[in-house]
Amino acid sequence: MTNHAHLRKDSDVLLRVEDLVVEFKVPGNKVVNAVSSVSFDVKEGETLAVVGESGCGKTTLGKALLQIQKPKSGTVRFSDNELTALSKKELREARTSIQMIFQDPISSLDPRMTVRQIVEEPLWIWSKGDENERLEKVKTLLNNVGLDPELVLDRKSYEFSGGQCQRISIARSLALEPNMLICDEPVSALDVSIQAQILNLLNDMKDRYGLTLIFISHDLSVVKAISTRIMVMYLGKVCEIGTTESIYSKPAHHYTAALISSVPVPDPTHKLERTPITGEPPSPVDPPSGCRFRTRCPAATELCATEEPMLREVSDGQFVACHYPRA
Amino acid sequence: MSSILKLENLKVRFSTHRGQLEAVRGVDLDVQAGTSIGIVGESGSGKTVMSRAAMGLLTGSNVTREGRVTFDGKVLSDMSRDEVRNEFGTGMAMIFQDPMTALNPVRRIGSQLQESLRIRLGMSRKEAKVRSIELLTLVRIPEPKQMLRKFPSQLSGGMRQRIMIAIAISCNPKLLFADEPTTALDVTVQAQILELLTDLRQKLNMTMVLVTHDLGVVAGNTDYVAVMYAGEIVEQAPTAELFANMKMPYTEALFKSIPNIQMKAGSRLPVIEGRLPDPTDRPPGCGFAARCNYAQDKCFSDHPELEKAKDGHLYRCWFPLGESIQRKVS
Amino acid sequence: MRKLWSTFNLPTKISVVWVALVFFFVLTGSFLPLPDPTEFDPDASGVGLFSSGHLLGTDINGYDLLSNVINGARISILIALISVGVGGLIGSAIGIGSAYVRGKVDLVVNLFFNILLSIPNLVLGLALVAILATSVDPSIPIDPNRRVIIIIFSLTVVIIPILGRIARGATLSWVNREFIVAARSMGMKDRHIIFKHIVPNVLPAIYAVIFLAIGVVIVAEGALSLLGVGIIDGVSWGAMIGRVAGDFTYAPQSMYVPVIVLALTVIAFNQIGDHLRSQLDSREGKI
Repeated sequence: MTNHAHLRKDSDVLLRVEDLVVEFKVPGNKVVNAVSSVSFDVKEGETLAVVGESGCGKTTLGKALLQIQKPKSGTVRFSDNELTALSKKELREARTSIQMIFQDPISSLDPRMTVRQIVEEPLWIWSKGDENERLEKVKTLLNNVGLDPELVLDRKSYEFSGGQCQRISIARSLALEPNMLICDEPVSALDVSIQAQILNLLNDMKDRYGLTLIFISHDLSVVKAISTRIMVMYLGKVCEIGTTESIYSKPAHHYTAALISSVPVPDPTHKLERTPITGEPPSPVDPPSGCRFRTRCPAATELCATEEPMLREVSDGQFVACHYPRA
Repeated sequence: MSSILKLENLKVRFSTHRGQLEAVRGVDLDVQAGTSIGIVGESGSGKTVMSRAAMGLLTGSNVTREGRVTFDGKVLSDMSRDEVRNEFGTGMAMIFQDPMTALNPVRRIGSQLQESLRIRLGMSRKEAKVRSIELLTLVRIPEPKQMLRKFPSQLSGGMRQRIMIAIAISCNPKLLFADEPTTALDVTVQAQILELLTDLRQKLNMTMVLVTHDLGVVAGNTDYVAVMYAGEIVEQAPTAELFANMKMPYTEALFKSIPNIQMKAGSRLPVIEGRLPDPTDRPPGCGFAARCNYAQDKCFSDHPELEKAKDGHLYRCWFPLGESIQRKVS
Repeated sequence: MRKLWSTFNLPTKISVVWVALVFFFVLTGSFLPLPDPTEFDPDASGVGLFSSGHLLGTDINGYDLLSNVINGARISILIALISVGVGGLIGSAIGIGSAYVRGKVDLVVNLFFNILLSIPNLVLGLALVAILATSVDPSIPIDPNRRVIIIIFSLTVVIIPILGRIARGATLSWVNREFIVAARSMGMKDRHIIFKHIVPNVLPAIYAVIFLAIGVVIVAEGALSLLGVGIIDGVSWGAMIGRVAGDFTYAPQSMYVPVIVLALTVIAFNQIGDHLRSQLDSREGKI
């Protein structure tokens, strides 16, 4: 019984992940089930948002895709390469097509290096062009992300604001012209009005470089603005996956509905019709049996405790893992 | 309705190696008892400094505070530090963004809860224990008796925040400052905490000052909103009125640039270009002029004062929105 | 460099001047118009400070104290620099490498460091010297040069875990930062990551401790020589002190001079190292 109903067979699928499992050991001989048998795919040109609250495994998932965090089992097929089976050398090369941007813009940059050195580094690693050609490329990249090369090239990263550091990170990640960009909470640490700037930038870069994006976030408002498809995670499992429009307008999973209706809306006339969700997320060390959301779900029954629901289609392109999805 | 907290021309300056930093530039605020007021601003707006200064929590040789702070009829700014400290707990209380730093990691929850009760209210150990369990139930913690024995490190962020709220309300304060109380929490937990705060406010008849950067949070949880920018209040109004009739371009720009879950999917966000002015070297005129879509010459040279419109709506702008004045859109 | 000097407070500046002075004399000592340190002058035995011909006086045998202190400085500083230099290099390399690799290697290295560190410096040094410097036939003394090498080796072993632990700790604080993960995800080779990203960031912590380590070694060598297992023929500071122990009342300056010079030098190195470390702390706090 595979949980692969939602995987697509089209030729333009760029990334296909099947049954990925990532576990950590923690003190006390316990094991954290960070990612438990997650499968999904991403087509060229899509922006897939991976959404969930803390502890759902989304950040671990991002790192596992790049094999920075070694998965326990499962496959990650990127553009004809099976990433889990590559040698160390092959993996290094494969990584140049997938780059990552991180949450903390300041610690994403080496404080001792100048902006020029930071953005040039990927080119240096792979010996692309001579020094002059690299400098030109760096200048182009900085311009693309909205920074004036003359003003920033020789300065160190700690002289810049969070938003500017994030732009530098983005410039760096585009140096090797990757096919896919994984963004791990890239705007969460930024001021509200700067978030908009960076989100617009990411969209612009996506168009300019023909990128496919995976956008990891806990913020449902941000995700609506940037994604075409959304995957909702809870405690290491996929709850629901579908297009952005369908997920927001008709969330089928009770957790998705609760998430959406918990987001504060800047409109005082908006009535908070909150789907009741009680309690705290259980520990990923000892998740509930069957459906992991059942301990907080208003529609849970005995079936939910004994049998884990598989992803099945509820409407065109929308899949939910629930025995009693919302109508 | 009486005024419970009144700030008159509050100014806070820090002396730094780069010169005088004016964090708060003449804030006037009048909070009515029993209401909930939201102070909205981004980082650098001065909102946190203002709330700490109002409570008398800002100390340090490089801090200068001017202006009057009146709480419940007492002029705090004239009182000594010890006298002000007497007001903490029973008069005013504060909850912070990061509950872990507000809770002592090496003391049990029960002991931290009971401390205030025994010192401030003079309860005996037995009375304090009973009251602690009541408080934990009030903040909707399951199994309060077990919770007394636990340490903060054993709890999740949401739980810790509830404990911090319980400690804050333990002595029945009249005024509660909440400084970004939910920013560090997951969104479902955030919703629960905000609902809890509203519930407690009504039950205990507390006044709440909610400091946040999230317009969504103030929209649903406050009666009155003050928007801060570059150390001053730039707009102030009852919540519904503010959202319906924004007058200051900054408020409008802020509102529009925030990703809003009610927008259409995939819409492009209008941005506020530029950055906050350097607080050690503020230009004359309106602090927002350099970034404002509607700025005119006067905005760069003359500093606007706070004007009053109808319905208690205050704004600080020469060319407020919604008025039929010729505007140059740059 | 000028910028660095301007950030020093007064005690640190004085310390730098003192250390510079010591080095100056170490290098130029033989060319200065001072009495030969090995020449003793029974007529001038035990003269006090500022006597004619003997700026800092002489000891009971008439050896000029100033020249001997300078001569002793050569050995003491040499031993300190080499031990700390080599020990620091080896210790840092092990510490950085083990913190980067983590896993079982790191566990073993950490254990190794902790075991060595649990033995007091002096005891460890003493033990190593005793083992290595004991000749089979007690009547044949060890060649002095070989002795020096043995002492350098022993003190190097003492320094390795001290600097190793600092390097390891500093590396651990950097190795999980996101820019290191970013470097890996760009396909950077591990050795490049270590040399381009980790070492430059860890270096400030290390050189702050280097100065403190020099002080440690000077004292350790001094103590070993004092006890008679270090430099026996009285050439280093410690040996000078040890040699005159019995004649203290007759010519007190023969004890004071080397003691004070040794103490001031150690204090100076400590002050510099301390100041660098506090600067580092405040800088790290901003990042």
